[in-house]
Amino acid sequence: MKFDKKPNKLILIAGLGLLLFILPFLTKLIVGNQYPLLIMCIIMIYIIAVTGLDILFGYCGQISLGHAAFFTLGAYTTGLLNMYFNLPLFITIPAATVLTSVLGALLAYPASKLKFHFLSLATVAFGEITYYFLYTSPGGFTRDFRGINVVGISFLGEDYLKWYFFLLFFVVLVLLGKTSLIKSRTGRAFTAIRENTHAADGMGINVRKQKIIAFTVSAFLTGLAGALYVHLIKYISPETSMQKQSVLFLTMLLFGGTASIMGTILGVVSIEVLMEAIRFLQEYQMLFYGILLLIVIVALPGGVYGGIKDLIVTIKRKKALKALNVQKAADTGKDGAE
Amino acid sequence: MLETRNITINFGGLIAVNNVSITVQPHKITALIGPNGAGKTTFFNCISGVYKPTKGEIILDGQHLEGKRGFQINAAGIARTYQVINLFWKMTALENVLVGMNSRLTTNFWDCLFHTKKKRAEEKLIYEEAYELLKFVGLEQYANAPAASLSYGKQRLLEIVRGLASKPKVILLDEPAAGMNTAEKAELDILLKKIIDMGVTILIVEHDMKLIMNVSDYIYVLCNGMLLAQGVPEEIQNNPEVICAYLGGEE
Repeated sequence: MKFDKKPNKLILIAGLGLLLFILPFLTKLIVGNQYPLLIMCIIMIYIIAVTGLDILFGYCGQISLGHAAFFTLGAYTTGLLNMYFNLPLFITIPAATVLTSVLGALLAYPASKLKFHFLSLATVAFGEITYYFLYTSPGGFTRDFRGINVVGISFLGEDYLKWYFFLLFFVVLVLLGKTSLIKSRTGRAFTAIRENTHAADGMGINVRKQKIIAFTVSAFLTGLAGALYVHLIKYISPETSMQKQSVLFLTMLLFGGTASIMGTILGVVSIEVLMEAIRFLQEYQMLFYGILLLIVIVALPGGVYGGIKDLIVTIKRKKALKALNVQKAADTGKDGAE
Repeated sequence: MLETRNITINFGGLIAVNNVSITVQPHKITALIGPNGAGKTTFFNCISGVYKPTKGEIILDGQHLEGKRGFQINAAGIARTYQVINLFWKMTALENVLVGMNSRLTTNFWDCLFHTKKKRAEEKLIYEEAYELLKFVGLEQYANAPAASLSYGKQRLLEIVRGLASKPKVILLDEPAAGMNTAEKAELDILLKKIIDMGVTILIVEHDMKLIMNVSDYIYVLCNGMLLAQGVPEEIQNNPEVICAYLGGEE
């Protein structure tokens, strides 16, 4: 993270901070109930999860179609530890992230040998295995298809205003970590692997090791998101580890734009708000994901954020061209006068 | 300095490189020439760890490198460029050079994540160094341009400087002049000599005979996977076997 000591950048950050601070109070005042706050909390959790996917897919170029498995495993670990042993959050959340990170590394070890579509098949298989394991667990310790209901888990209760700031803290931490990681040799190694695996190897990058690191970081973040989710919602079922949820994460990432911070945020916010708006059409959820993915792939390959960036560049270029033309016209005018 | 002993590469029955032994003298430009399909690039790929030799040894300053993987060979001190340009297209020219420095950086994953003092110091240092390297080949004004937006000749230069970024003992240049115009070729001539002055040894594969005869100190000629001739440029120019291999056989 490199802050240029420019005043306008500091003002921007201060303004953004202020906005994020008053936003929950404002919505609570206007809407009068907590529902929008809950949506904001879910958005923040998904931002953490999709950030994990972005590091793996957006930067390192390794596609995962089973990321919901990490999310669900993070949630289950936290939930079960609380249900059986009544452990507090500052033990259950780290435990969940450690477990998902280790699983991520274990999956990455063989998967790092696989190329693109073979890797995605392996991750699909991982998602399916997780689903069936949670659905019919040995001795039914995961309560199988009923899912787990952990009422006593929530230390902040139903006051979503508190949750908002609690989760905001995590989001800021995660995004700072991501920025720092990406603007370093590790981030550059990830991008180099995405751009040209062969040349990355020739430039002294241990490709397999870096892929395992990317997978582990990704699983850590998505697992963390899952652990936070179960604390907020107090319920998790095996269904969350299904293909549908993985596709949701991927849709959010691709819709917003990969390999950026703003893209992840834009993608999560727009898809989540859209999904809430068309909640009455819930059976057609997958259809919507499909249509959105198609639109993005065909019309906006860089996602919404990429599109906005392109637009800004085009406007700037047009302005520069216009200024140039005006200059030229002035010059020729002068020439004519002389 | 760099030595190969009896390198043989077999692709399931097809012998691409057969019993090739060469020696690269330090601070000299050694060239590898030969007609198309002679196995030059295969031989290069073998030295840089893309292929494993079926038989033979590769030794750099007493260190055996055969069978090592690409990134290990880079760390040992051999950098390379590619015949088909293999840049990191969406990364900027500067970032390409920064990636090239990878094997001599000392920060670890946790430094990267927590933005430690060590990382900040190293980043500052390598950004300056990378900029200097771009200056060395005259690309400093393109530092923040994506590699894909550069012209073909400039992409070749960027590949060379990305290779130099790891501070190698030897750099392998695979057809650096391909796709360059006459002016760029003349500059390449000077650049190769500047690289030698930096203390980096060069092993070059090239089809441009004018360039090769101008810059090389010693030449190996490869034909059908076998070493056909070796010697200083004058000897090679007057070698009937070499002329025969290039222009077609006449008894």
